[in-house]
Amino acid sequence: MRPLDALAKVCGDVRPGESAEGVLGVEPSLVAAPGSVAEAAEVMRVAAELDLAVVPRGAETRLDWGTPPRRCDLLVDTHRLDALVEHASGDLVAKAQAGLPMDRLAEALADRGQRLALDVPLPGSTVGGTVATGAAGPLRTLFGTPRDLVIGLTVVRADGQIARSGGKVVKNVAGYDLGRLFCGSYGTLGLIVEVTFRLHPVPAARAWVTCSVGDPGEAHEAVQSVLHSPVAPSALEYLSPGTVAVLLEGVPEGVAARAGQLTTLLGDTAQVTDTAPDGWGVYPDGTTLIDVTAPPTALPHLLAATAQPEVAVSWNASGHGHVGLPSGMAPAEVAAVLGSLRDTLAAHKGRAVVQYAPEDVRGEVDFWGPVPALALMRRVKDQFDPDHRLSPGRFVGGI
Amino acid sequence: MEAELQALASRLGALLGSDQVITDPVRLRTYDCDGLTNHRATPGVVVLPDSAEQVAAIVRACADAGVPYVARGSGTGLSGGALPRADGVLIVTSRMRRILEIDVANQRAVVEPGVINLDVTRAARPHGYYFAPDPSSQQICSVGGNVAENSGGAHCLKYGFTAHHVLACEVVTPDGELVELSAGDPGYDLLGVFVGAEGTLGVTTKITVRLTRVPETVQTLLAAFASIEAGGTAVSAIIGAGVVPAAIEMMDALSIEAAEAAVRCGYPPGAGAVLIVELDGPEAEVAAQFAEVERLCRDAGAFEIRIAADDAERALIWTGRKSAFAAVGRISPAYLVQDGVIPRTALPQVLARIDALSAESGVRVANVFHAGDGNLHPLVLFDDAEPGAAERAEDVSGAILDLCIEHGGSITGEHGVGVDKARYMPRMFSEADLDTMQMVRCGFDPAGLCNPGKVFPTPRLCGEVPGVRKGPHPFAGKADIF
Amino acid sequence: MSAQDDLPKLLGDCVHCGFCLPTCPTYVLWGEEMDSPRGRIHLMQQHAEGAPLSGPMVEHFDKCLGCMACVTACPSGVQYDRLIEMTRAEVEQEHPRPLQERLVREAIFRLFPYRRRLRALRGPLRAYQKAGLDRLVRRTGVLERISPSLAAMERLAPPLGKAPRLPERVAARGKHRATVGMLTGCVQGEFFPGVNAATARVLALEGCDVVIPKGQGCCGALSLHAGREEEARAFARRTVETFESVDVIVVNSAGCGSAMKEYQALLADDPSWSARAEALSARTRDLAEFLVELGPRAERGPLPVTVAYHDACHLSHAQGIRAQPRALLAGIPELTVREVADPDICCGSAGTYNLLQPEAAAELGDRKAANVDATGAELLVAANPGCSMQIATALRRGGTGIAVAHTAQVLDASLRGLGREALVGRPE
Repeated sequence: MRPLDALAKVCGDVRPGESAEGVLGVEPSLVAAPGSVAEAAEVMRVAAELDLAVVPRGAETRLDWGTPPRRCDLLVDTHRLDALVEHASGDLVAKAQAGLPMDRLAEALADRGQRLALDVPLPGSTVGGTVATGAAGPLRTLFGTPRDLVIGLTVVRADGQIARSGGKVVKNVAGYDLGRLFCGSYGTLGLIVEVTFRLHPVPAARAWVTCSVGDPGEAHEAVQSVLHSPVAPSALEYLSPGTVAVLLEGVPEGVAARAGQLTTLLGDTAQVTDTAPDGWGVYPDGTTLIDVTAPPTALPHLLAATAQPEVAVSWNASGHGHVGLPSGMAPAEVAAVLGSLRDTLAAHKGRAVVQYAPEDVRGEVDFWGPVPALALMRRVKDQFDPDHRLSPGRFVGGI
Repeated sequence: MEAELQALASRLGALLGSDQVITDPVRLRTYDCDGLTNHRATPGVVVLPDSAEQVAAIVRACADAGVPYVARGSGTGLSGGALPRADGVLIVTSRMRRILEIDVANQRAVVEPGVINLDVTRAARPHGYYFAPDPSSQQICSVGGNVAENSGGAHCLKYGFTAHHVLACEVVTPDGELVELSAGDPGYDLLGVFVGAEGTLGVTTKITVRLTRVPETVQTLLAAFASIEAGGTAVSAIIGAGVVPAAIEMMDALSIEAAEAAVRCGYPPGAGAVLIVELDGPEAEVAAQFAEVERLCRDAGAFEIRIAADDAERALIWTGRKSAFAAVGRISPAYLVQDGVIPRTALPQVLARIDALSAESGVRVANVFHAGDGNLHPLVLFDDAEPGAAERAEDVSGAILDLCIEHGGSITGEHGVGVDKARYMPRMFSEADLDTMQMVRCGFDPAGLCNPGKVFPTPRLCGEVPGVRKGPHPFAGKADIF
Repeated sequence: MSAQDDLPKLLGDCVHCGFCLPTCPTYVLWGEEMDSPRGRIHLMQQHAEGAPLSGPMVEHFDKCLGCMACVTACPSGVQYDRLIEMTRAEVEQEHPRPLQERLVREAIFRLFPYRRRLRALRGPLRAYQKAGLDRLVRRTGVLERISPSLAAMERLAPPLGKAPRLPERVAARGKHRATVGMLTGCVQGEFFPGVNAATARVLALEGCDVVIPKGQGCCGALSLHAGREEEARAFARRTVETFESVDVIVVNSAGCGSAMKEYQALLADDPSWSARAEALSARTRDLAEFLVELGPRAERGPLPVTVAYHDACHLSHAQGIRAQPRALLAGIPELTVREVADPDICCGSAGTYNLLQPEAAAELGDRKAANVDATGAELLVAANPGCSMQIATALRRGGTGIAVAHTAQVLDASLRGLGREALVGRPE
């Protein structure tokens, strides 16, 4: 039996791949869109039997992240797995299928005054894609990233078995937390099919306080002063060129009082607005995006290392940021910027990882940089995917 | 002592100082259990390393000899997670207790695993910071133990668990390598799975923790209700109003009675339930929300509300709650502490079912719980002098866990699975779920020497096709040491 | 119920939670389970279940300071104080000790509880110190080689001044408020006579007639805390007799006060003494406890001094007296009280511990000295002669001297308007 027919027997939506659907240029032979968790498990089982290399796909917002797959026999598209399975509002918990777009999830939760405290830097992106890439935005200052908000996870393993970890209660230490392991695993350990999140109430009021900073030193000072103040911001960001922005959330009288405290703290240029400043919650402009992590005091060094006017930077006070490089930048120059970034951040135990880059740049740079526990990661990968069929080559060290 | 263990003991003696290796049987026996005393096993050898290099050398020696090992911090765990192996080595981290760095600008601290939880806060406090995870044993439990158990505490409702406050761990892997697992590094979030793995993936030797800004203000109230149901209604109303308290704790009449006997906490007489609600954060936020919480408690039928005016009054309110576990010893010769979780909204049904269970079996159950996150701590009372009483208590305790599972909850919210609840894991997870979790273990510890027999009821054979078992199990016969 | 019937119940109270560990001085030093209260209770349990009193077992019992910090920390109400006393009594009866250890123990218990013997030692000791022999002996380490315990004893001896004799009765100043008996103690009386004089003056200035019976001897604390129960009972009976005529017995030494409050348990099995012992225990007060109950009347003169207050274990843990001394100090104009870090951890003095376990005691003394030093205070105030000797010795060893005084001496200086020089010497 041909692979297409074998898959069609277990899944209602299977077709040959098209050239436009290539993952970083690697064209899939087949595309299957399972409509249920059971169907997804069957698809994965058949793929295992036929030795097909599988790459999951959500809304394609981050399919061009990471390195290209070595093989892509089957794209598993999650767009039919788009149910909000459960919203237990009294328990502040929701369970969603992987293909559900984040904005639709947000709408449904907002109906009952709740939210998943994760920003969506790329509109349209799905629950599964967000978890698989560990994506987050400014709110990470207070709420963290997917690893901090996922409380239950259902995956389909390479062999087609369905496996769950966690549950639907926030407080739970029974068994290993595979939710955290799968966050940011780029589809290399299994197919994420359902995710249970802890939720937060939508705040009654919010305000942004912004101020202008003239140089890296000033930016650092402003960030540090807010960080060590008692105003408890939901988000604290530096946005190039030269803005420090703070998001305050809470009850109206509380937000007003805290905004007042912050304007005193941040000085003459401080402004209070009820809309987000430019560049808030989106990746900096550019065709190459570099994700940087380092402790908060690395900020002035990061800014000094990216001082070229055409380089855009955003930085969250939790110790995480993004650098955007323009389309015109030559591959060698990109490699040089990346190298100097890594050198600068290494002094702070920080690192820089390329998220996406134009094709001509991809060949010139090491996407991941040093990976300290790579040997251990390979051993874990070998357990989950002994035949290396899940998104092969998409991740660190060619995993 | 078996010959192989004896040989290992002398090798360890050569690697470490003479006061770092314990082989005397009387001394070894003092290490036979952690905070859970109904599982005991005297370790074959105890070692007290004082550096990461020593831990690595010990683990390598064990790996070479094929001898299992268990790491232990302060020995306060409540699930037997640090239960030693009679045929193995117990690695005690109580001498690795240096606070290596308090980095205020970056809001973090670097500590050795034996450092006591509360000592991190003591060191950070002068700078206006603290270490947020606050398990009830925080004055003695070690940070290494917190990492293993992913410890929570009364305030984890708002601030999260240890996993949310650990930025990196230096780990000795089961092959004896020193590796740094960091949340910021590229690749798999191995740190995320290491925290809470109950010491089955390696031994941590250095931990970088996040420090949290001390809130501008803390407000605490105690509300007394006629019944648990009324208290539960108040909790739902508070959460429903969009308030995220730092903590919401509830005690029932029996546990109030015990606390009163032990510490004379002076809770309102006649209360069927008391609720402790604590809010913290910026003053303006807390003031507004606190008034609302007070109103919601009254609406739900609180007949008395006390508001702590200062730290001393706050401490008094917390005294009864914090002493509740140990205090139950005053009203019952023996008791089991259970730890289960349910969705908070199921609280009334589950408590009614626990009441019914108690009535049917004649076994008294006192309830203390973290009401905000549905984490129940039923204390099942019995008289150990009475034949069969312990078994009946055990049955009731197990039935409560079944109730938790039935309502979509968990068999443990913070005490861990350890050796105590491994047998309940198949009630909560399928064979495939457990098998998948153990793939991680096989990646880290294919020989299965690192804290074996914990978390999982049956170990997975590494390197084999899942679900298929061939030949006798390598641990067959050894498991009955427990 | 006799003590042995009690044992299984007392042991059963321990739920193995470990809350005692961080307060235990030996656990703080060595981080070993068997040198923690929880571990020692485990060892007692092993013994109760039939394991013999082996050398290692006794070693860990001996290493316990008996500071009772664990009793304060225990949420389950374990009576470790009773457990360790019962265990020590058994060790003394059952366990053969090596000759040298036996000799040292005998020497200690034949010397310290007897004022006349201590007094006989004063002369030679003063001469020894005056001649500078002490420095020579310490430099050569000769005693260290002969016996670490003897060396410890030598180091701990405070510089001696003249010892004034106290009259049998000191009359109240002003309107009479109470008549109190005063225990002079053995070590306090001979090595810190100034403390007793100050105590008597303070009591008198606060309106008390102070009765100081001549026939009083040792209260038995050292023996009781070392498991020498019979000896302790004999001392206790004599003390009960001596003080039967007064309403209140004021004690300025924490170890003595806590032992006297335990007489009722010590003599419980003796029908002819149990009621009398109970009555005496009920009338025993620590000086600070008594003064706070009485309330201040005499005018306090200013003392511009920064003091570090040290909690003696037998005051804070055994008697629960923490607030009273601090309140008395805070009541002195211009005096600043600084808290010492880790106040719950023993200084290592612990009765005879610094003589029997000199190395551990010295380590604990150094830790305490460092914490005292860190307060930046000019004067260390403590309410136990053992603590004062221990901490002063450790501070000397560390090269940072600090003036030492008993709470009574600070109050005395304030009430008599002597000024700071009386306590910390003249400013440079």
